[in-house]
Amino acid sequence: MTRLLDIRNASRRFGGVLAVNDVTAHVDEGELVGLIGPNGAGKTTLFNLISGFTPLSSGTVAFGGRPLAGLTTNQVARLGMSRTFQNLRVFPNMTVFDNVSVGAVGALPQGALGALFGGLSESGRQRSADISRRTWEALEAVGLTQVAGELAANLPYGQRKYLEIARALAMKPRFLILDEPAAGLNDTETRDLAAFIKRLHGQGLTVMLVEHDMTLVMGICQRILVLASGRKIADGTPDAIRNDPAVLEAYLGVDA
Amino acid sequence: MIDPYYLQQLAIGLSLGMTYALMAIGFTLIFGVLNVVNFAHGEIYTLGAFAGLVVISATAPPVVAVIFAVLAAGALAGFSLERLAFKPFRRFTDEASLKSRAMRESTLLSSLAVSIVAREALELLFGSQMRSAPAEYLINTPVRVGPVILVTGDFIIFGVAAVMLVGLQYLLTRTRAGLAIRAVSNNPLGAKYVGIDTDRTIILTFVVGSMMGAAAGILMGLYYGAVFPAMGFVPGIKAFVAMVMGGLSSIPGAVICALILGVSESMATTFVSSGWSDMVAYGFLILTLVFFPNGLFGARRERV
Repeated sequence: MTRLLDIRNASRRFGGVLAVNDVTAHVDEGELVGLIGPNGAGKTTLFNLISGFTPLSSGTVAFGGRPLAGLTTNQVARLGMSRTFQNLRVFPNMTVFDNVSVGAVGALPQGALGALFGGLSESGRQRSADISRRTWEALEAVGLTQVAGELAANLPYGQRKYLEIARALAMKPRFLILDEPAAGLNDTETRDLAAFIKRLHGQGLTVMLVEHDMTLVMGICQRILVLASGRKIADGTPDAIRNDPAVLEAYLGVDA
Repeated sequence: MIDPYYLQQLAIGLSLGMTYALMAIGFTLIFGVLNVVNFAHGEIYTLGAFAGLVVISATAPPVVAVIFAVLAAGALAGFSLERLAFKPFRRFTDEASLKSRAMRESTLLSSLAVSIVAREALELLFGSQMRSAPAEYLINTPVRVGPVILVTGDFIIFGVAAVMLVGLQYLLTRTRAGLAIRAVSNNPLGAKYVGIDTDRTIILTFVVGSMMGAAAGILMGLYYGAVFPAMGFVPGIKAFVAMVMGGLSSIPGAVICALILGVSESMATTFVSSGWSDMVAYGFLILTLVFFPNGLFGARRERV
């Protein structure tokens, strides 16, 4: 197995607070990994460190063998790391199709002149065709082809979640991070989501799931990382995590 | 039959409105993407006019060359403006600050500062008196249309405004650069995380908007036959009013409101006195804000 994401001794300090404290963890190619932890554990900060959004105070993060220090978020995204957001960040005043196209456009970078006048050249038309094909594939994968022409703002909440996933998939990522995808979904919708994530994983995509919903995480993840107070306190299979005294203490506050 | 005099006044009002519209298009584009007011847009307009004038008086080139020189000056000015007055206040590392009031207010002031410095610098360089291009470059040859007399510039300005509107619509809806601009305007963070270079997209928006502002400046300089360092101030205010009336981020809305402004000013001059024309224009702004707080065209939530 090749190592896709390699986090070594990562720390991030905000003033006097160590939001992430000396975390070492990894994700291998083809894994479906869960990241859990109580509120304030540092999950979001760790996320932001991985994606280049927040610079590390110390430590290193490498993606596909390449150190990410100094890269901006959009550059990291182009390396094949894509994500969705807990509080959705779809483009409300754009159509579903255009929303997803942005992902395809983002993954296929080009110069400003090409982006303006690309339609005029052969390679530009080829690129347009690529973008359109990727967009339809991603829409098909999440089942939103029927509403491709709708404004994103008019979609119901659940569909907007899938729209965001489609936008991430249009990048053809190597690594997809889902930030609390089950938040705000009912039980049936969560079950559908779990099946969908397993299907993506089955197609060879490496997925990291940050989630509060324990049944979802325990049900589909092969391995789970647990953060508490900025530290990694456990790393193992769902069964091992379920019985880990440190995890129980972090979640339930019982003395172990 | 309406008295031709009133038709003439209507025509004057429409052409005045067109000149405001020319300015309002670039102004609204920048607001729509960044949600910030660019107070230096008036100086971009002045700079465009001076760039044109300098090129004309230095080499007396063909009109096409003047246009290219002005557009290049506008692009450069837009790029520098963004780097100087906007970029330092845009802290993507802090999500909450992106569209915050602090960000809006600091860039409002920094762009105002840049505009003052630019205006004074132009005054030091060129003096504050009005200058004019040689007569063969001016676009004020009278043209009779039925009972009304217009000048060539009226048609050119109308044409340019139409081209700008259509071109911008094409850019925003049909090109990949436009897709990125709309994405950044909708949600900059979401765009960043799918690989869009938000920084470059914002620069591109400033460059395009400023090229339009600079083109408006030279056109107006040749239309009125007067180029001077403070020339961008009043059109800048009028474009701002048109943008607010139009609902802040609707470009067609801003153009329509610019026309309403122009016509109402010319009507006020006709029926009351010229001293009242600004009163009517700003009165419209107040009425709009009182009765349509989202602007006349803001309710549809159509951005950019």
